[in-house]
Amino acid sequence: MIISTSWLADYVQVPATAAELAERLALSGLNHESTTVVDADTAIELEVTSNRPDCLGHLGVAREAAVLFDRPLAVPDPWPLEGAAAAADRVAVVIESPEICPFYSARVIRGVRVGPSPAWLVARLRTVGVASVTNVVDVTNYVMLECGQPLHAFDLAKLRGGRIVVRRAGAAEPFTALNHKTYLLDERMCVIADAERPLALAGVMGGAESEISAATTDVLLESAQFAPLPVRAAARSLALASGSSYRFERGPDPAMVDWASRRAAALILELAGGVLDRDAVTAGQLASSPAEIGLAPQRVPEVLGIDVPLARQRRILVGLGFQPLGDHGHRWRAPTWRRDCTRDIDLVEEIARIEGYEQVPEDVGIAARPVALSDREQAVRQAGAVLVGRGFCEAMTRSVVDESLAGLASPWGDAPPLVIAPPLVRGADRLRRSLLPSLLEARGGNVAVGVDDADLFEIARGYLDRPANADSAAGPVDEPLLVAFVTGGDFFRAKGLCAALLAKLGLPGGETSIAYHPISLDPFARGRAAEILLESIGQATRRVGVVGEIAQVARERFSLPGPVSAAELRLDWLAVHLAGTRRLVQPPEFPAVARDLNLVVAESVSWGELERAIRAAAGELLEACHVGQVWRDPERLGVGNKSLLVALTLRSRSGTLTGEAAAEAIERIVAECAARAGAALRG
Amino acid sequence: MSNVAGSSLDTFLAALELLRSDAAKAVAEAADNAAVEAARIEFAGARSGRLKAVQKALGGIPAADKPAAGRHFNDTKAAVVALLESAQARLGGGGAERGESLDVTLPGDAIPLGHLHPITQTIRQVQEIMGQLGFESVDGPEVEDQWHNFEALAISPEHPARDPLDNFYLATARAADPLLLRSQTSTVQIRVMESREPPLRIVSLGRVYRPDTADATHYPMFHQVEGLLIEPGTTMAHLKSVLRLFASRFLGGDVHVRFRPSFFPFTEPSVEVDMEWGGRWVEMGGAGMVDPAVLAAVGYDPDAVTGFAFGLGVERIAARRYGVADIRDFYKNDARFLRQF
Repeated sequence: MIISTSWLADYVQVPATAAELAERLALSGLNHESTTVVDADTAIELEVTSNRPDCLGHLGVAREAAVLFDRPLAVPDPWPLEGAAAAADRVAVVIESPEICPFYSARVIRGVRVGPSPAWLVARLRTVGVASVTNVVDVTNYVMLECGQPLHAFDLAKLRGGRIVVRRAGAAEPFTALNHKTYLLDERMCVIADAERPLALAGVMGGAESEISAATTDVLLESAQFAPLPVRAAARSLALASGSSYRFERGPDPAMVDWASRRAAALILELAGGVLDRDAVTAGQLASSPAEIGLAPQRVPEVLGIDVPLARQRRILVGLGFQPLGDHGHRWRAPTWRRDCTRDIDLVEEIARIEGYEQVPEDVGIAARPVALSDREQAVRQAGAVLVGRGFCEAMTRSVVDESLAGLASPWGDAPPLVIAPPLVRGADRLRRSLLPSLLEARGGNVAVGVDDADLFEIARGYLDRPANADSAAGPVDEPLLVAFVTGGDFFRAKGLCAALLAKLGLPGGETSIAYHPISLDPFARGRAAEILLESIGQATRRVGVVGEIAQVARERFSLPGPVSAAELRLDWLAVHLAGTRRLVQPPEFPAVARDLNLVVAESVSWGELERAIRAAAGELLEACHVGQVWRDPERLGVGNKSLLVALTLRSRSGTLTGEAAAEAIERIVAECAARAGAALRG
Repeated sequence: MSNVAGSSLDTFLAALELLRSDAAKAVAEAADNAAVEAARIEFAGARSGRLKAVQKALGGIPAADKPAAGRHFNDTKAAVVALLESAQARLGGGGAERGESLDVTLPGDAIPLGHLHPITQTIRQVQEIMGQLGFESVDGPEVEDQWHNFEALAISPEHPARDPLDNFYLATARAADPLLLRSQTSTVQIRVMESREPPLRIVSLGRVYRPDTADATHYPMFHQVEGLLIEPGTTMAHLKSVLRLFASRFLGGDVHVRFRPSFFPFTEPSVEVDMEWGGRWVEMGGAGMVDPAVLAAVGYDPDAVTGFAFGLGVERIAARRYGVADIRDFYKNDARFLRQF
């Protein structure tokens, strides 16, 4: 909303400069955008919040200024002279859809001379950025900018059948607007029609056919109320926003509908001559029942933390147009232009913004309260710390990806990705199920700018088309919290990083173990990827992660020089294992016995199987078991066999392990490996 | 030195003894590193040092005496080297324990340094400061229903904020309650209030989504941090004071905050919050007293408890703090950008 300071002076004498006025308005709710000198006038542009349609006219802003500077407000009271003929004899008004047009009024002015506007009117409109058209059209714009009620003037000669019909548009009904473009309307929209065709898109824009021209002599002046939704639907979907639609979307003051009509009629008679027919032709009802509001005196300090004397509270509210009911200032009726005020808290805000928030103290203490980070938040930080510690940079990629990226990976379920409209950015309308494709793309983006070694990770949600768990913090769909990373190097680098992440989160732990099983899953290379399984006592084993080398086809897609490996883990599921304080396990006091075994097994036997056999046989004595060199030699080991160097650390917690006890344990281990995995001890 | 050539064992030993005493004298008289170095060149120089010359004379020693001569030569050489080293140690020069001196200007091993995203760093700092003020960090779902994103926040069905063009609605079959990507993190506050009783102090944080065309100051996905305090007897003075403590700690120094009236459906009164930054008032976010309708929607008694809420745009703060002119840079994931923070 642009205000002309000279125009404003018609209603209130502000004892301040334009800059001071702008600042006071800004600190009381009308944000200052800019101030511009236009010829002899000054234009102040204000940002008006959607609850204040009254300030979309000079009168509303003048009322604010009058209260802020404690000056009287002068509102014009137009009563144009009427002729003998009744408007109702020339035109009828029918509202077919009262839900979108509660009230419509038409005044008829005959014998006008359409021509240029006088200099004062042209100047005022120019200050607020509106081009002058003709005297009749300028008056409708002027009155809208004065009081916030949009008006429209029709050439009465173009009205067929002597009837204004307010109705919903038909499906794909054509309409040619003032801008001479033709639009296809739909049933959400409201039109002002005559007996045959639409003349205006209600509340948005007039039509080309009935517009005021140099040849116009008789004018039908519309002043009406339209519901916000049909106006918004038309303005948005046809991209036809106007000063009129902007105001109807916010709801102008119903009490000004007739005022604006009289005001415009008077100005048209003054500037264009003609005769005003008697009475307005109206249809519908003006709904206006301002709220009665109780305001207990202690409410103001209770909310604001400052005391505002009762007399001052009353003066502010009366100045803003609130009407006291009774003598005590405890009951009020809101003005018709403040339908946003219905409750005591709304009155408190009015008092606060006029009194000024600078009065509210800024040194009031609040009681101390202890806080802790949730397990989930801790897990996020631990995971980030591990990866940052290994040289990774945290990425932030879009939650919404295009179809091909969305299809690239879904380690957490096969349901198709959720789709949004409109797309987040062009083409991106799928909520991602995994972070991996985005990270691969980000790594590729780095390669494109010459950074070949961008090790990236991200911690974010995935989105799965299935109901969430019955967790109070969960939403309508399942949103796993994921940590994913992409790095150079092979499977074992990525797996090592996973193991470090898991260890930092307390896994494996007392009642939980971690297993890796081979999987075939995009975008990983066949035979070079694993799922990470969490096994907990008393709970079903579940997949908590995937890790592997990226397949060549995916690397080519993102122009990634190989090798590239990546992993993604369910941080939300892993976080629960952080619970509880870690307890010290005393470092061992007795010496360890180290033994290396060369075990020869068939190629098909995995280290995992062998390790399980070793652990089962060794029991408590086994402190550590590592696999070292794996080698193959068909001549010495036989075709299809491999040899694994296994380094065992045995230790007893209760005393020094004797040579015999260690030898016994080794014997058991070798026997178990032979039994379970067909392993043979090599010399 | 030619007098030692072709001489007997005795002559050889005498030459060695002379060399040793000369070296001891030179080293004892050396007052600085340059003098020690000169002595080193004179006695132990690789090409024309006196040790080298005596060593040549070894060839002229009769075969039977050679082992003894060699042993004496080695002893003398070791003694001279030890003298030189002790002199270097005495003068604090040299330093090479053994072997060659290092070129210490060569770079150390490249240890890769990881970096948290500047947005995360900003959020963590807000969390930390708010944590000291008793606010607990919470998060919540990004896909939301009508109740949590709008209705419980007193945003009516006619409100422009619910327009399909202003939100990312999900194309699911739930026509009665269409889902959408949340447009603010106040949704989390609703969820927490629904499941917990006051008193309550929380900060909700995370990604939010609005269909803005991406430019230097807008991105359709961004981050919000929102604080909520629900305790009996809370006033706007508490809100202002908490924000001032936050601003002072976050921006450094004794920072003042300014309220400008505004309008949000879920707070009443509502204000825009400005903080003094670099000598100017900078808009940091919105705030207000929690609207009684919101308290009632989550099942609280609006007559018994009051509270305040505030929201900060993380990108805006981070951009200003780190000198990022275009917030789209936060989402390019260019390692050359990320490695700077």
